[in-house]
Amino acid sequence: MVGSEHIEMIPTPAKKVWSAEVNGTPVEVLVASNAVLLDVLRDKVGTLGVKRGCDLGTCGCCTVMIDGTPRLSCLCLAGQVQDSAITTVEGLADGAHLAPIQSCFAEYGGSQCGFCTPGFLISAQALLNENDSPTDKEIACAIEGNLCRCTGYQQIIDSIQGAAAIHRGEVEAAKPASDPHPDPHPEGPEEPNMPPGHAR
Amino acid sequence: MNMSGGYRQQPGGSGQTTRKDGKRVAGKQSFPPPGSGGSRPHMTPRDLDYIPESVGGKEEQPAGSHIHDRVRTGTTVGKEIPLVDSNAKVTGQAWYGDDVRLPNEIIGKILRSPHHYARIKSIDTSKVEALPGVLAVATGEDSPHRFGVLPVTKDEHAMAVEKVRHVGDLVACVAAIDEATAMQALNLFEIEWEILDPVFDPKKGLEDAEEPIHWRGKYHLSKTNVQKRVFQEFGDRSLVEKPLAESHGKWSMAGVHHGFTEPHAVVAHWGPNGRLQLYTPQQVPHYTHRALSTVLDVPMHQINVIRTFVGGGFGGKSDPFPHEMCAAILARKSGRPVRITFDREEVYWINRGRHPSHIEVKMTADDEARISGFDIDALIDGGGFASFGHVTSYYNGVLATAPYELGSFHYTGARVWTNKPASGAMRGHGAVNTRCAVEVGLDEMAESMQVDPIDLRLANLLPPHSRTISGFRITSNGMREALEKVREGSNWDEKFRQLPLGKGIGIGCGFFISGSGLPIHWDPNRFPHATVHMQVDMDGGVTVHTGAADIGQGSTTAVAQVVSEVLALPIEMIHVRSHESDTSPVDLGSYSSRVTFMNANAAIRAALEIREQLLNAAWEILGYHPDNLVLNDRRIYYKHDPAIGVSYLKALHKAQEDKGSLIASGAYRSPPMGGVHKGAAAGLAPAYSFSAYVAEVDVDVETGIIRCTDVWAAHDCGKALNPMAVKGQIIGSCHMGLGQVLSEKMVYGRTGHLQNANLLEYKIPSVHEMPNVEPIIIESCDPEGPFGAKEAGEGPLLPILPAVVNAVYDAVGIRLRNLPLTPDVVFKGIEKMLKEMKIDDPEDLPSPRLTHSPLQSTLVARAQEHKVRDKARQRTEDTSPYVNGVLFGFDPTIPLEDQVEGWRTATEPNPEQLAELGLAGRAWLKKEQREMGGGN
Repeated sequence: MVGSEHIEMIPTPAKKVWSAEVNGTPVEVLVASNAVLLDVLRDKVGTLGVKRGCDLGTCGCCTVMIDGTPRLSCLCLAGQVQDSAITTVEGLADGAHLAPIQSCFAEYGGSQCGFCTPGFLISAQALLNENDSPTDKEIACAIEGNLCRCTGYQQIIDSIQGAAAIHRGEVEAAKPASDPHPDPHPEGPEEPNMPPGHAR
Repeated sequence: MNMSGGYRQQPGGSGQTTRKDGKRVAGKQSFPPPGSGGSRPHMTPRDLDYIPESVGGKEEQPAGSHIHDRVRTGTTVGKEIPLVDSNAKVTGQAWYGDDVRLPNEIIGKILRSPHHYARIKSIDTSKVEALPGVLAVATGEDSPHRFGVLPVTKDEHAMAVEKVRHVGDLVACVAAIDEATAMQALNLFEIEWEILDPVFDPKKGLEDAEEPIHWRGKYHLSKTNVQKRVFQEFGDRSLVEKPLAESHGKWSMAGVHHGFTEPHAVVAHWGPNGRLQLYTPQQVPHYTHRALSTVLDVPMHQINVIRTFVGGGFGGKSDPFPHEMCAAILARKSGRPVRITFDREEVYWINRGRHPSHIEVKMTADDEARISGFDIDALIDGGGFASFGHVTSYYNGVLATAPYELGSFHYTGARVWTNKPASGAMRGHGAVNTRCAVEVGLDEMAESMQVDPIDLRLANLLPPHSRTISGFRITSNGMREALEKVREGSNWDEKFRQLPLGKGIGIGCGFFISGSGLPIHWDPNRFPHATVHMQVDMDGGVTVHTGAADIGQGSTTAVAQVVSEVLALPIEMIHVRSHESDTSPVDLGSYSSRVTFMNANAAIRAALEIREQLLNAAWEILGYHPDNLVLNDRRIYYKHDPAIGVSYLKALHKAQEDKGSLIASGAYRSPPMGGVHKGAAAGLAPAYSFSAYVAEVDVDVETGIIRCTDVWAAHDCGKALNPMAVKGQIIGSCHMGLGQVLSEKMVYGRTGHLQNANLLEYKIPSVHEMPNVEPIIIESCDPEGPFGAKEAGEGPLLPILPAVVNAVYDAVGIRLRNLPLTPDVVFKGIEKMLKEMKIDDPEDLPSPRLTHSPLQSTLVARAQEHKVRDKARQRTEDTSPYVNGVLFGFDPTIPLEDQVEGWRTATEPNPEQLAELGLAGRAWLKKEQREMGGGN
């Protein structure tokens, strides 16, 4: 990065049209032929949910699903995945319906600062697509490439187990928060729950 | 010097107190009765309502013992609810630093020093400026003003002025139309350097240097690189003589980094009216705000600091940073928004991680197994800048003084500058390393006295509502319960010293501040620490404005929860706005575990005001006095007949009739506390958290690989506002602490280069290294905490280190004092022991065993006695003062300084002591420039 030698301008590799299906939508953008998928997704496609943590394939924050397989977008040239189907965190939800893995990460505390969360969600979703009753060990193997500094992983594993239960149909998925939900009792309940210490 | 006045203390404090005989004595502190909220006669009168009244009030409290219990509605407090911003995070909509993309943005890059220590003789930027696509260039000349997080040690510039102080130090910066052009521009700077002689070893930093890294003028210590030296002595040194047991350990702890996943990033944009908008993931947006104002020479009101979502902080984003200044300078020069994002290597260069430390601990116990002496010497390697180091130098000592009752305490500390990236605050700030050393020392003393280390601790604890040896005011204290819970949970009595070779179990305790008693900026010192504004409009939703920086710990959720609890509204109706300094009241930020304690308290104050307005409106409608009205689930009703009531909305609209929106403001300022000796303010907190962990490990005696299998983690957080979040903090702390004790290390090579500035070689535990952690929440219900809550973010990290080190001893019988305990360190330890014991096969090593001495029963009896005492004090049946020293037979009602000959509070060594100082203590052999007649 630092040196006295004048280095010729790096940035003029040929530009090419890169196409792929990102979260179900066909995308065509003009990118340099040596562009890294992470840069393309963040800077050109606009899926800013894909996070850049290290650029070296060590943190897993940039994990995206490529044709159903989780891969690190920072170690992947855009050209390598031309015309493939890419799923980022933005593509997990079905409209306003959060995927079970998303609602469970919120519910079980699998996300604290949230920066690593998109990567974890993708890795976990890829696992659940293959296996809806994973053991804790299998989950650990699925997320071993993802680094989380906040949670200590335990609540992440709980979240994935919770989502697995929804996938198996044992637990019902949560309704989207944006569904119409008029206040059931705008006036407050007739006979309220007595709070502690206020019993008659 | 003893405790003379003159050291600025609490807001409004004169440092004086009145004795019973009416004599005013400088520096003698009366003991605050439990639940007094700390109000003291020597303070100027204040609005007592300001501090929540606490346990022991005369008023009958309906649901428990805490003052806030009167306003509990059972809505959200104590319930496991998702963080309020978690949906933003799981959908990828949370916007972190690099996600801020403004129209017309350009990219900034920073030129960093290739030299450890060098003088910049000249910088030629003409070629850079000539490069097409470059829109702005800046160097140290553009940033002559110093800044720093602590006002006493402002030693940073946006870019190097005169000298660079470590590899990676900022030299210049450039903004260009794209990243590639900016990168190329960095190669075009022509700089003439004069290489200076660098210092890497903190021990060398104690010696006089040709050219010290910084120059403090007349306060500079000779010509050394010592940034701060501390000497503290409390108690009766004569107690240390003739000890029954002793422990003496010299530790070397490597520096560790926070390892947050989000690299630093900043976006700066000067709006059309010349106001700066700065987007940054910051733990302390307010300090950044101040620093920007100084560096840019622009009044604070012309700057809007916008805190983005923070992708992990842990103390690593709690300084105003030079790259934030660079972005602002480049944006000003170019007239376009500038985004600077670090790569991972740059994150390590800005560092602010835990100080690499050399720590020496000497401990003694007397014939009744009372801890008669704690001697700590800590030499900490500060790197190139001060950062929080001034405070760290104190924390290394003072935060080790509790939770134990000590006969004497002696601390010498020094922080030195070296030509490495600056160390700073990191989760468990300053307390972690010495805590590890003293807890292992206690284990060693227990071993030599042949007693159980848990019983040794239980028989030497300070009770609730007491004063520590250095004058900290402990309020609630769940230490005993934590120890008991982990002992029971881990099945300690069946395992300790009974497991086979290679398997071990160990204990460690922790003690940490819950908010620092003093704000960093003392002037104007009457500002509250936290302020919360609240607005309720006709839709019934509550908008809460707070400056609290949510860094993932859930402070926004905590604030929303307490408001929802007080107003009995579902949490969806509470909207917290905390990102912008334009709309948020000043908050000091997320450091020293202050946010939940202070912000939630401020939020409760504001919510109480709204509550009062609602109740008054309901009074008008229902005709019952507010005293007889109850808020519950969007309805206000008559206490004795719930059928008589009015809906929340009706009451709200009534209240709004004449004035529109209901508006309220609440603030929190910590009570006056603490002694008046130099440094008394360091480590003062309105409450303290306590924790005890038991760790179980497997040690492979052939390879030295340690695997931590189980952790029982009890933490006293006062009251778990959101148990899910508290558990997350406990488990996460275990993860981070395990990293420090087992694998994480910033490796500096022989030439001083940082060799592992990436996440591959900087070894953070992965999911496979995580033990099974059983979080145990202890609720001691702090009298001044919001609904009784205290911190849970940093304290839980402390005990895991000593617990693991002690467990390794239990497993293989070696005491290791070089952290991290990587396999090579353990293997060397085992090899050395094999040689000493003349054993060939490591499988033949003896496993430590314990036969209790008669002292054990004495300890058990004393612990039992103290348990009764503590219970009475926790419930405030016993409100008599308790000062550290009572265990040694002192009368708690008289200030110790008055009753015990030889009881000392000193902040400078006396001449005899100069001869026997430890490593860091040797800084006291040097004179300040002003004493040497020099220094300009």
